[in-house]
Amino acid sequence: MEDKTKRYEKVEFLGEGQFATVYKARDIHNDNIVAVKKIKLGSRAEAKDGINRTALREVKLLQELKHPNIINLMDVFGHKSNVSLVFDFMDTDLEVIIKDNSIVLTPAHIKAYVLMTLQGLEYLHMNWILHRDLKPNNLLVNSNGILKIGDFGLAKFFGSPNRIYTHQVVTRWYRSPELLFGARIYGTGVDMWAVGCILAELLLRVPFLPGESDLDQLTRIFQALGTPTEVVWPGMEALPDYIQFKSFPGTPFRHIFTAASDDLLELLENLLSLYPLKRCTCEKALKMAYFSNKPYPSPGSQLPLPSSIQPNVGVNKPTLKRKLMDSLEGVSQPKRLIF
Amino acid sequence: MSCVVGEDLTMKDVIDVMQLQREKSKQAISVDYREVENNFVAVRFIFECGIKLDAQPLTIATAAILYHRFFKEADSSGYDSYLIAATTLYLAGKVKDDPLKIRDVINVTHNTLNRGAAPLELGDEYWNMRDAIVQAELLIMRMLKFEVTIVHPHKFMLHYLKSLEGWCEKDDWSKMPIAKAASAFLQDFHYDPAILDYTPQHVAIACINLALQCYGGQVLPTDEGEGVPWYSVYADDLQKDKLWEIMEKIMEVYNKEPK
Repeated sequence: MEDKTKRYEKVEFLGEGQFATVYKARDIHNDNIVAVKKIKLGSRAEAKDGINRTALREVKLLQELKHPNIINLMDVFGHKSNVSLVFDFMDTDLEVIIKDNSIVLTPAHIKAYVLMTLQGLEYLHMNWILHRDLKPNNLLVNSNGILKIGDFGLAKFFGSPNRIYTHQVVTRWYRSPELLFGARIYGTGVDMWAVGCILAELLLRVPFLPGESDLDQLTRIFQALGTPTEVVWPGMEALPDYIQFKSFPGTPFRHIFTAASDDLLELLENLLSLYPLKRCTCEKALKMAYFSNKPYPSPGSQLPLPSSIQPNVGVNKPTLKRKLMDSLEGVSQPKRLIF
Repeated sequence: MSCVVGEDLTMKDVIDVMQLQREKSKQAISVDYREVENNFVAVRFIFECGIKLDAQPLTIATAAILYHRFFKEADSSGYDSYLIAATTLYLAGKVKDDPLKIRDVINVTHNTLNRGAAPLELGDEYWNMRDAIVQAELLIMRMLKFEVTIVHPHKFMLHYLKSLEGWCEKDDWSKMPIAKAASAFLQDFHYDPAILDYTPQHVAIACINLALQCYGGQVLPTDEGEGVPWYSVYADDLQKDKLWEIMEKIMEVYNKEPK
């Protein structure tokens, strides 16, 4: 068998997550640049439980998924007691783009990002998979401006009536109210809510609902959207962790998102519907007027990139020389690139 | 043991006898795994341990399939089949999101191999086994090229049975335990690596058809020999020869059972 550790030549260290370290590497077969995610093993002898569950779940799901807006798992290999996953190389992510103050996000840019996110997510949901951890940090963007959904460590099949899920999923700021109330049976709505929060963040350039605790998260949601009643959200009071909140009237979206167009606000209201069953699906969202109205979504080549990333023009394979020059100039690479 | 009761049978005693017979039949299937080592008993070992671990049926089926797929790639003389069996169970728990604790897997497999033995102390033997399972897990994953998603016949079978039930007369259907027999055939077919050679849809159809044959059930409106067989609505690529080939393979399983 071919030695895969030799096939993928390490170019540089990209980042470190909870379960893995990620390297940029060159595939010596075709000179492509890839990202190699090396799964960490428990170092202590007693933590030796074998192959990481999260990694296995990610491998299993991604082997079956092929879509332009879903991160592509190109290869998996084991070496000694490690498991490594080989992905498309993605230059940056939406969190970096949102936080980069030198980037201006026009309505056409925002539309392009939301469109690509929804197209990838529609494909996932069609295949009965919930992502469960959508956030700007997991929406990866390459130098061609293509957005791909990444990090499937929490993704899960859904639809089976006897499946009980944990509600401790999704980074808090993007967590839907039913999850915060402890729902154990939920559906695509949890991902749609997260897309709503991401769209809001693209407009505001800061997180829309940055709760400091689960309770604070719900308070912020209800301050913005109004405290729901049993009429607005039937079944809410029966949820495991339901508690009664002060009755907030809510703030009209027009006052929060002053620059947004009417068709965008319509989409946002549908994504951020408090009652999960009224929240729109990807299919419905993609048919909304927002996506057919002007301005049209920017093509990938016109989407902005952080200054640290060279747009992909012509032959632009990073050579060792370039890399050395980059490091001499002290160009900072985006850290925290987590797949 | 049942003869102990004998003489004056009261109602209570009758129930006791039945209980004893159940226990007796339980003992009858007890296998000394250390005496024989082949794929058939190794899969029996997977099922026995899987049931003791309270694993989901599909988790156990996954373990059996992983076991057969591994030995399709690997030379069976080179590996301890019970280590591979224990590891496929542990791995199947991860694959199916039906987590089995490694310590439970070790305790159950150890006790099933060495019946009556005391649980392993947390000593060298335990740690060596744990290490062996972790190593074997990675080996299996690499042998299978990390492709461990398995499409089971079970979901197809359930769907076919559901719609067959709707076709049949209510009385006819309830007279014959078709669903139960088909499920038993499907579970038992997992003992044979031949299960890898057919699509899950075809395996599901063969199990149902075999059950129908056993009980003389006929699916209206068509019958063997005239017109379209019942399964053609589910799989138009299944020829009669192929179907009978699978059914024979399923029946062969029962000849392979050690006496």
